Amino acid sequence: MFRPPEHWLCYIGKMRLLAHFLPFFFTVAAFSSQFHVSTGTLSNGMKVLVQEDHSIPNVALYFFFKIGSRNERPGTTGISHFFEHMMFNGAKKYGPKQFDIEMEKNGGRNNAYTSRDVTVYTDFFPRTALELMMDMEADRIRDLSFDPKIIESERGVVYSERRTSVDNNNGGLLEEQLNAAAYTAHPYGWPVIGWASDIESWTMDDLKAHFRMGYAPNNCVMVVAGDVTADEVLALAKKYIEPIPRHDPPPPVRTKEPEQQGERRVVVRKPAQLPIQMFSYHVPRSNDPDFYPLQLLGRILTEGRSSRLYRALVDREQLAVAVDRSDDVSIDPGQLVLLVQPRSGVDPAATEKVLLAEIERVRTGGVAEGELQKARNQYLAGFYREMKTIAGRANLIGRYEVFLGGYDRLFTVEQELEKVTATQVKAMAQKYLTEKNRTVATLVPEKGAAR
Amino acid sequence: MKPVIFLLAALSLPAQTRVQLPPYTRQVLPNGTVVDLMPRKGVPLVTVRALVKGGAESDPPGMAGLASITAELLRRGTPARTADRFSDELDSIGASFESHTDPQATSIAMEFLSKDADLALDLFTDAILRPTFPEQEVKKSLAEWIEASKAMKDSPMMASSLYFRMFFFGPRHPYGHPARGDELSLQRITRAEIANYHARMYTGANLIVVAAGDFDPAQMGPRIEKAFGAAPAGKPYAWKDAPAAGPASSGPRLLLVDKPDATQTYFWIGRIGISRTHPDRIPVWLVDTLLGGRFTSMLNDELRVNSGLTYGARSVLDRNRLPGAIAIVSHTQTASTAKAIDLALDVLKRLQEKGISADQLASVKSYVKGIFPTERLETADQLAAEIGDLELFGLDRREIDDLFARIDAVTLEQANRAAREYFKPSGLSFVLLGNAAKIRSAIRKYAPEMAEVAINRPGFAVPAAPAR
Repeated sequence: MFRPPEHWLCYIGKMRLLAHFLPFFFTVAAFSSQFHVSTGTLSNGMKVLVQEDHSIPNVALYFFFKIGSRNERPGTTGISHFFEHMMFNGAKKYGPKQFDIEMEKNGGRNNAYTSRDVTVYTDFFPRTALELMMDMEADRIRDLSFDPKIIESERGVVYSERRTSVDNNNGGLLEEQLNAAAYTAHPYGWPVIGWASDIESWTMDDLKAHFRMGYAPNNCVMVVAGDVTADEVLALAKKYIEPIPRHDPPPPVRTKEPEQQGERRVVVRKPAQLPIQMFSYHVPRSNDPDFYPLQLLGRILTEGRSSRLYRALVDREQLAVAVDRSDDVSIDPGQLVLLVQPRSGVDPAATEKVLLAEIERVRTGGVAEGELQKARNQYLAGFYREMKTIAGRANLIGRYEVFLGGYDRLFTVEQELEKVTATQVKAMAQKYLTEKNRTVATLVPEKGAAR
Repeated sequence: MKPVIFLLAALSLPAQTRVQLPPYTRQVLPNGTVVDLMPRKGVPLVTVRALVKGGAESDPPGMAGLASITAELLRRGTPARTADRFSDELDSIGASFESHTDPQATSIAMEFLSKDADLALDLFTDAILRPTFPEQEVKKSLAEWIEASKAMKDSPMMASSLYFRMFFFGPRHPYGHPARGDELSLQRITRAEIANYHARMYTGANLIVVAAGDFDPAQMGPRIEKAFGAAPAGKPYAWKDAPAAGPASSGPRLLLVDKPDATQTYFWIGRIGISRTHPDRIPVWLVDTLLGGRFTSMLNDELRVNSGLTYGARSVLDRNRLPGAIAIVSHTQTASTAKAIDLALDVLKRLQEKGISADQLASVKSYVKGIFPTERLETADQLAAEIGDLELFGLDRREIDDLFARIDAVTLEQANRAAREYFKPSGLSFVLLGNAAKIRSAIRKYAPEMAEVAINRPGFAVPAAPAR
């Protein structure tokens, strides 16, 4: 069931080979050698990954269901996220509120998140609650219940969430419009939280259909990190989760976004103190050879105060107060989004001009070796920051497994980064950061009522 | 002391017997600087954290943000490095350099990979001890921060929090201003004030330095001691007293912040609470967690789970040197503003009248102990923050090492006494941010006096006279 320890030894061997001509790797290897992931698959198709760590008596248990807003249809957008909420509202053995009540009284807490691609349930608890968690998770994965009153109440909660993160959040509002313009066909164009009118119209049948579509154990990866042994996790998974029958996973997402053939522009007018600008570029899915080169390009552009865009826009021209970037992993072709917050009273055309000029500098002049090495170090430092906690590790393992071709690519991050050349990074800019591939969204402050 | 093995086995609750701060060394240098070192093998990361006593309360009147912007400028020029060079070097190793000012201290923290300790320590000590505050960088920082202050107004969540602080404490209280200043106060700050603040405050008497993570104490210890030991001893910061009339001592009172395009109302309802070192802090913490500190809390249960009125309702328990607020915090769509506030006040009244049950007490004890390791003791940066905190408040490691025993020892009677004493539905300060035209009449019932301010008015202060 679980891969024998040779995997770990193989990994150590590889690291040591590199140690003598890249001293940087030495301390990193010493830690990485302790980072062992055991793997197995239940007979119902659920994959199980376990990372043992006995430094604190706690456990992070994550379920990555490969269903998200990309699997939705117009009319029921946001259903994946709504469903995520309903997963806490009662099943067969543990009724409404019991999941949270039992968890908290046993020293645990939980959360969940929905993205375009996955719905992830996250549990954090002392190791003594492991069996209880398996029991409760199995209950809701198999027998979630749908009470009409609870559906109405939870609809209100999700609507409030939409108001908080979109309607009353200038950045969230602009991003929603940016994506709707950047994607004309593919489901990534609609918001994970769902359009407001869809939120108002969801039915119980929508929920049940979604449950049947996405919540198959064979459509899920379980990740456990913390004070457990692989054997005990496996034994409990076999007892509680393995009996849940497999069924068809969601149908494949057939629509491909057609190649964008010219710049798109969006304007949102709203009362605001400061404008906001977003520049979206289409990039390949994460499981693609261009992934690491694009990750490094993104950092050179926006990471830290020495980054190209920060230096030009905030420091030198003093036109912006902040720059940022979004380059999330994705199952289907995603985006690299550059964000700028111009200062109050600044014409966004001015910040746009500077930003595009900086991009042109990278496209024609490329990047320096020093910048590339910096970006590698930034990536790695970020990687280790995620590894600090059992929660971070569970998320990292799941992310690599679902989006990057397999959790074992975690162990080769450094080598893969080392292979990226400055020439490649320049090529990424030339290939993807083009006018034709670009969607620009601007939030223009509107004067409110005089007071 | 008798070890606690199992807790309430009859209720089948987990046995989390105790936690302990990992070992660390402590020394006080001749110039007064406190240096704490906690080397731990594991993830190859290190956090170094310096605390400068004083914090937001040390801002002179009219100069809110001085402590905070002084910390911002540390990295923006030393004799050895320009701001640009500092950023180049910091980013080249993927390290972080963050400063934050709270009511009693400014913290400056760097997190870096173990292998980069040499350069990281150099950057850390250079910035904290030898900043030159170039005029150009001062001007740029102030301009950036004025913009950031304006940007806060675009976030109803963050803006309502700042308005609450100002309104609750009032302008005469050491905590009655935003730690990062606002558009008005930042304009009064000059390079001379910043340099003067640094010279007065960044001295041995006021400095605490903590290092935690995968480092070699034989290397890092002497370097930290040498660098920080060379700072002048200076005079210890003289802590302020709270004004005689405490914050919000005569409630109820209400501030309405008008944001006409808001489709939700964001509200804070607070009353006077406790200080960080108050003897009742553990029972108060437990009751506060039950009220609004976890998902199954009374507030979240009532306002979110039962009625679907909000994405979240919680409570805030200030833990500062001077007594702060205990506040209910939530938001709801405009039309249900009064309904949500009424529900929140009902929850508070029920807590006051009925107190909590033995089951609730057992559950919350289990909860806070269960999550404690991951919240506070898992990572080097958490540990560095924990140790810094203990030093700042004059506590020692027993605050952590004895914590679980002290939690276990809280009786139902003690918890309910804390509920009655500190969670009263009286003397309340309300701050509501939303569409004033639509909610003004519905909310008048909460307070005889209502002040109103337009969100676009510069700063976060309440106008002296009622608007219009």
